[in-house]
Amino acid sequence: MMRAVVAIEWLKLRRSRVVLTATAVLVFLLPGSAAAFMAAYLSGGDSQFAAKVSTLLNGRSWADYLGLIGQLSSVGALLSVGIVVCWTYGREFSDGTIGNLFALPISRARIAWAKGLVVLCWGVATSILGVLVAVLLGLALSLDATSAAEIAQAATMPIVVATLTTLLAVPLALVASAGRGYLPGVAALLAVVVVTQIVTTLGASPWFPWAAPALWSGLGGPALSAQVTSVQLAMPCLVGALGMSLCAWWWKHCEVV
Amino acid sequence: MPETASVAEPAVLEVRGVRRSYRDLVAVAGVDLYLARGEIHALVGLNGAGKTTLMRLMLGMARPESGLVRLNGRDISRCRAADWARVGHLIETPFAYPELTVTENVIASARLHGLQTLMAATAAEESISDLGLTPWASRPARGLSLGNRQRLGLACALAHRPDVLVLDEPTNGLDPRGVIIVRESLRKAAERGAAVLVSSHHLDEVSRVAHRITVMHGSVLVGSLDPGGLDLERRFFDMVYAAEEPLAGPVPKPGRRL
Repeated sequence: MMRAVVAIEWLKLRRSRVVLTATAVLVFLLPGSAAAFMAAYLSGGDSQFAAKVSTLLNGRSWADYLGLIGQLSSVGALLSVGIVVCWTYGREFSDGTIGNLFALPISRARIAWAKGLVVLCWGVATSILGVLVAVLLGLALSLDATSAAEIAQAATMPIVVATLTTLLAVPLALVASAGRGYLPGVAALLAVVVVTQIVTTLGASPWFPWAAPALWSGLGGPALSAQVTSVQLAMPCLVGALGMSLCAWWWKHCEVV
Repeated sequence: MPETASVAEPAVLEVRGVRRSYRDLVAVAGVDLYLARGEIHALVGLNGAGKTTLMRLMLGMARPESGLVRLNGRDISRCRAADWARVGHLIETPFAYPELTVTENVIASARLHGLQTLMAATAAEESISDLGLTPWASRPARGLSLGNRQRLGLACALAHRPDVLVLDEPTNGLDPRGVIIVRESLRKAAERGAAVLVSSHHLDEVSRVAHRITVMHGSVLVGSLDPGGLDLERRFFDMVYAAEEPLAGPVPKPGRRL
């Protein structure tokens, strides 16, 4: 039964225009933006844009370029994945289809887990695809590299950041479900982004799970990035697991009102 | 008016003394009802009578404050997957995900009810044909008219050939042809042994198809009507008015014809 539910949720995800837009942002817009910034950095010059880009990039290496994608992903992926999470769960309530998920041989808790699994797989797959697109664009920019291994090593960071960010979006599933629609989830997403920005600005403790991947990617500078520990980076996994468990519990006990 | 299943015909789905309120609004106040195999049972009542809430209670969509709901003799909180696999329902919103085609929606519903991929595809094709949706089979549900969305919801409820069918106003939004198609689908389901509960405002319609008609008013069951009798509408309003009088509520007394 679980396979059937996963297949159905995957089909719904594939057909969604919301998901299509989010995929385009993660696979093309973020790498494209990073490549455009790097191109401006490489061309030098004294334009205002080039000056601003020089504050984001410290060099012309693959690590600098893919690190920038990690930084962009820490916000861009949270917004994109967060909206997909809110839609995936909240649409059942907004569209009124939740009633059709009752009186079935499979529990609603397992349906909720299936949705989470599908979104997680989609998030990881799009982040990998996005980095692949970024690598292709980087090759076109003729960035400095000594070996393919160096590129692969640099590519690990944005993939990890996007994956951790995907996990950090999972608790929004609970908000969208308990709020009985995707809009409460989107409101919570915006609140998370704002609070994360404030926390980062005020000294940015990497113990705040939503700030940890961004700080590790270098958004707070190289010094802060070096201070982020593996335990702090593991916190998003805990947030994701806890958010998913609570959401599944809520789905198990919810009623149609 | 309490109802109990006879020993000869055990109830497939049964509620006993169920009560449910929402804050100060009592939606269902101590209702007993049973569905028997091969029988179409119509639940009729005015808007706000409690029909939809009662159906939700029967399907586990809402939990009763008191009373029991049993499916195949088991409390629904302890029902097995096999019990639920044989239930079909359409309560308010049809199973119609707009981004999926008509066929994909019916297959998805059939698979959620435990059918394997190939069986689900065959069942979906048959159900789509039965409900007259073949011309729209490969179109996304978002483009369907209200009536065709309702028919899609019915196709999803019927595709896995359930033994228990609970339908809340299934002819909503349907044209006369659609109403006849639904009527025939319900008859077919009952003929193969399904227990069918259907709520409706259309007394003429339920009189054509129902074996039993139960009237709900003011959150309780107030009586039953003979589907074959004359002037069903007048008898319905007489029953509703008689139930309303002690409450001194604002139900207008109709003439012989409305």
